[in-house]
Amino acid sequence: MGFFNKKKKKMESASSASTTPASLLQPENALKISLKENLQKIKEELGNSTDIVFREFRIGKNKSIQAGAIYTDGLTDTESWERIIKQLLELDIQGDSDNQKKATEQNFMDELNFSLNIGDVRNFTDFNMLYASLLSGETILLVEGYTQGIAISNKHWEERGVTEPSSQTVVRGPREGFSENLRINTALVRRKIKDPDLWLETKIIGKHTKTNVAVMYINGIVNEKLVKEVHERLDRINIDGIFESGNIEELIEDSPYSPFPTIINTERPDAVAAALLDGRIAILVDGTPFVLIVPSLFIEFFQSPEDYYQRAYIASLVRFLRFVAYGIALLAPAIFIALTTYHQEMIPTALLMNLAHQREGVPFPAFVETILVEITFEILREAGLRMPRSIGPTMSIVGAFVLGSASVEAGMITAATVIIVSITAICSYVSPLYDISISIRMLRFIFIGLAALFGLFGIIVGLIVMVLHLCSLRSFGIPYMSPLAPFNLADQKDTLFRFPQWKMFTRTRLINQQNVVKQQSPDSAKPEPNKN
Amino acid sequence: MIKRILILLIYSLVLTGCWDKRELDELAITMAIGVDESDVGYLVTAQVVVPLEVSIKGNTGNSPITQVRAEGETVFEAIRKLAKIVPREIYPGHLRMLVISETVAEKGIGEIVDYFSRNWEMRSDFYVVVAKEMTAEEILNVSTSIETIPANSMFNMLNVAQETWSSTRGIQINDLISDIGSDGKEAVVTGIEVIGDQELGSSKQNVETITPGARLRLVDLGVFKEDKLVGWLTEEESIGYNKVTNQVKSSVTTLSCPEGGTMAIELLRANSEIKAKIINGTPEVEMKMETEGNIAEVDCQIDLMKVENITKLEKLYSDKVKEVMQKSITTLQKDFNADIFGFGDAVHRADAKVWKKLEPNWDQEFSELEVNIKVDAKITQFGVIVNPIKIKEKE
Repeated sequence: MGFFNKKKKKMESASSASTTPASLLQPENALKISLKENLQKIKEELGNSTDIVFREFRIGKNKSIQAGAIYTDGLTDTESWERIIKQLLELDIQGDSDNQKKATEQNFMDELNFSLNIGDVRNFTDFNMLYASLLSGETILLVEGYTQGIAISNKHWEERGVTEPSSQTVVRGPREGFSENLRINTALVRRKIKDPDLWLETKIIGKHTKTNVAVMYINGIVNEKLVKEVHERLDRINIDGIFESGNIEELIEDSPYSPFPTIINTERPDAVAAALLDGRIAILVDGTPFVLIVPSLFIEFFQSPEDYYQRAYIASLVRFLRFVAYGIALLAPAIFIALTTYHQEMIPTALLMNLAHQREGVPFPAFVETILVEITFEILREAGLRMPRSIGPTMSIVGAFVLGSASVEAGMITAATVIIVSITAICSYVSPLYDISISIRMLRFIFIGLAALFGLFGIIVGLIVMVLHLCSLRSFGIPYMSPLAPFNLADQKDTLFRFPQWKMFTRTRLINQQNVVKQQSPDSAKPEPNKN
Repeated sequence: MIKRILILLIYSLVLTGCWDKRELDELAITMAIGVDESDVGYLVTAQVVVPLEVSIKGNTGNSPITQVRAEGETVFEAIRKLAKIVPREIYPGHLRMLVISETVAEKGIGEIVDYFSRNWEMRSDFYVVVAKEMTAEEILNVSTSIETIPANSMFNMLNVAQETWSSTRGIQINDLISDIGSDGKEAVVTGIEVIGDQELGSSKQNVETITPGARLRLVDLGVFKEDKLVGWLTEEESIGYNKVTNQVKSSVTTLSCPEGGTMAIELLRANSEIKAKIINGTPEVEMKMETEGNIAEVDCQIDLMKVENITKLEKLYSDKVKEVMQKSITTLQKDFNADIFGFGDAVHRADAKVWKKLEPNWDQEFSELEVNIKVDAKITQFGVIVNPIKIKEKE
C-alpha cells in the first residue's frame, strides 16, 4: 500500500501544477467589445481546430452591423444554420451609436432573440459559457460592439435511434431500449410516467468531457435523504472524463472492491420506470444506453422485468430456476472436484465406477483438468465477444468439437469435466442481469481452489465468508441482502416468489420509508367474477 | 501487520491443504470383503472393481472384478498388507458386502465388527452375511450374471428377498452392533452359500452358459448369541422371526383348502406389536399381529363369492400365521435359548426394575417366557378373477 500512496501523492502534485489555464479564471474571461478580438481569442484558445467554423458577416437590411458566427462542424444542423443566416441578413434592425450602446444593449439582444425563430436561444457574457455551448453543438452569434453573445441550440448529429436492447431481452414486454442520447432517454422514461412529480436534475461531470448526467426520481415517493446522498456522491466526482455510466458507477459505489455489483444498470425504460415507482433514483448519463438505478439489492439482480408481465406462478418458478442456476454456476466445478478427490464415498457407486473409468489414463489431476477447461472456456467467451461476426460460427465449431470432444476422445480430459464446465457456463447466463454473473465468474475459481485444497470443508468455509460479505454490503445505505437479511416479511411478496399483482400493494420497506402503500385498497384490485 | 498475518495464513492454507487428496485413478474400489480364519489370525479377501470392465465403453470382456487376499493377525493388518499385491490403495468407501465365514462366526465376530464400524472411510449401509459351511473366499469367488459385480449381486439379492419372500434379512453393520451390544436382544445374520460346481464358479465360462455352473444362494437366518454363531433357523422359522419382529414387507403363505387342495395367499400388509406385562414378578409377552392378504393362487374348488367361505379362509389364514410365529418362538426358546426377538427389551420397557432382576439370567427366563399371540388376518383382495376356473371332473 505504501507504494500506492506515494504514487498518489506524486500524481496529485503533478495535477495541481497543470490545472486549467489561468485565463479561464481571470475577470478578463468576459467577452470583449471588439468582435475581431473575440474571434481571435477563440481561435487561439481552441488551437485553430479545423472542425470549428468561423463565419463573419453583416446583419440587418442595410448591412450595418458586423457579426460573427461560430459553430462546430458535425454537431450542428446545417439546414437550420442556413435558415438562421437568411433570417439574420434580412433582419430589420439598426445598430446604435456608441453613446447609446450601453443603455440599449439589453434591448438589442432581446430584439435579436425574439427575431430568431429557433427553439432554444440563450444569452451569455463570458468565454466559459461560450465554450460549453459551442462544443456541445450550439451555434454562437457574436455582434461587434456588444459584450453579450447568443447561443443558438441547433444541435444535430448522427446517432442510433431507439432500438431493442441487446442485453436483458424479454419475450413479453416493451421492445424499446435506451440509446446514446440523454434527451431521448429521459423522454422514454417521461413517456412511461406522465406525472408532475417525476423530477429531473442535470449536472455536468467531467472536467474535459463535460458530460451531462441526469438524476431522475419521483418526488413524494423517493426518500429525500437518498436524493441528497446521490447528489453528494455525484458532486464528489472530480475526474477528467465520463464516457459511460460504468465510470460513474465505480465512483459512487459503496464497496468498489467487492465482486458483487451494488448498482443495477439497465437498458430498459420499463425497468427504470418500475424502479422509480419503487422509490429508486435513476442516474442517466449522456452517451450511453445504460442507466444506473440506486439503491439496488442483491435479490433484484434475479428479477427480470418480464417477471411482472407473466403469470405469477411461472414467474416464481422461473425466479427459483435462476437461483438454482446461480448456485450451479458458482459451485458445480468446486463440488465436482471436492467429491472426486476427497469424498468419493458421497458419489453413488455406479457413478463412481463410471467416473473412475473415465479417469483411467487421463494425465492431469481433477483440479488441473477443471482449471484447464474453465480457462479454455473463458478464453472462448472472450474471443467470441471480440472477434468479427463472420468468424463466429467457425469459432464455435472449433470450441465445441476440437476442444470439447476431440480432447475427450484423445483422453486428455475426462468427459465429466467437460460436462460440468458446460453446465456451469450455461447456468452463468441465466441471471437476467449480466453484472451478477460476472461476480460468480471470478468467485468460481476461488471456490475451485478451496475445493482442491480442503474439499467440501473448504467450500462451506468459502460460502460462509461469501454470505458474511454479502450481508455486510450496503447500497446507498440500504443493506444489500434485504429483505432477506435483515428479514422483512412484507417484502417477501416479491423476493423469492412473485406474488400476484394485487397482493404486492406495498413498496420495498427499507427504501420507501415515508410512502410505502402502492394500492390503497388492494382487495378491490383483485380480479373477481361479476356477481350479477 | 494484518497484511503479513493474512499472507502467512494464505501460505499455510496452500501448504496444509491436499494432504488427504486422492484421485479416482489412485483408488482400488473394493465392493466386498471376505473374512476367513487362518493360522496367523485372519485371511482377508477383497473384491476389487476393474473400472474399465464395468463401463459401457471400452470394456474388453475380461472379469469386471479381481480378487486379492492377504493374511494378518488383525483384519486391519491384513487389509493393509493387500497393498503388496494391488497397485492402488484399497478403498472400502463403497463396500457393499462383508462376508464372514462360518468358522469365524462361531468363534466370535466382535473384533471384525469393531474394525468395520470404527473405520471412518466406510459407509454404514453395507450388509453382513455369513458363508454357510464354506469359506468367505469361496463365496466371493463366484462370478455372477445379470449383475456382473458379485458384491452388487449379493446386495440386490438381499434387498429383493427381504421384500418379496421375507425369509432373510439384510443386516447392516449398525444393526449388528446394536444387537450384539443389547442385553435384551440377540443378533441374526443371513447366510449365503454356493450351489453347483464351485470349481467352475470363478471362471468366465460360468456366466457364459444359460445355466451357470455355480451360483450364489441366500440361506436362512443364522442365530447369534453375543457375537458367536450358534445355529441356523429353517426357512419357515426365519419367516416367523420376521413376522414377530414386524419386518415383513411381503411374503407367501400356503393354506390347505377346507375341501382338499391348496391355496396361496400373498401377504399385503403386516403389522405386529410386542408388549410385555409383569404378572406377579414373572414377565409375559403379548403379541398382536394384524395382517392383510390377497388370494394369489387357488388350486382347489371353493366358491369365493360366498362370504362364509372367506371367513373360513381368514380363520385358516390367521391360524397358519400364528402357527408359523409360534413355531419360530418355540424353536428359539427350546433349541437355541437365544432371544433374537427382543422380548427382553420389551420387558425392559415395561418395567425397568423387574428387568434389572431378570437380566443376569435372561436366557433362562426367556426359555420359560410365556408368549401369547393374537392374530387378526383378513383377506381383502382376490386378484383379477374371483372364482377358480371350473375343471370338469371325470366320472
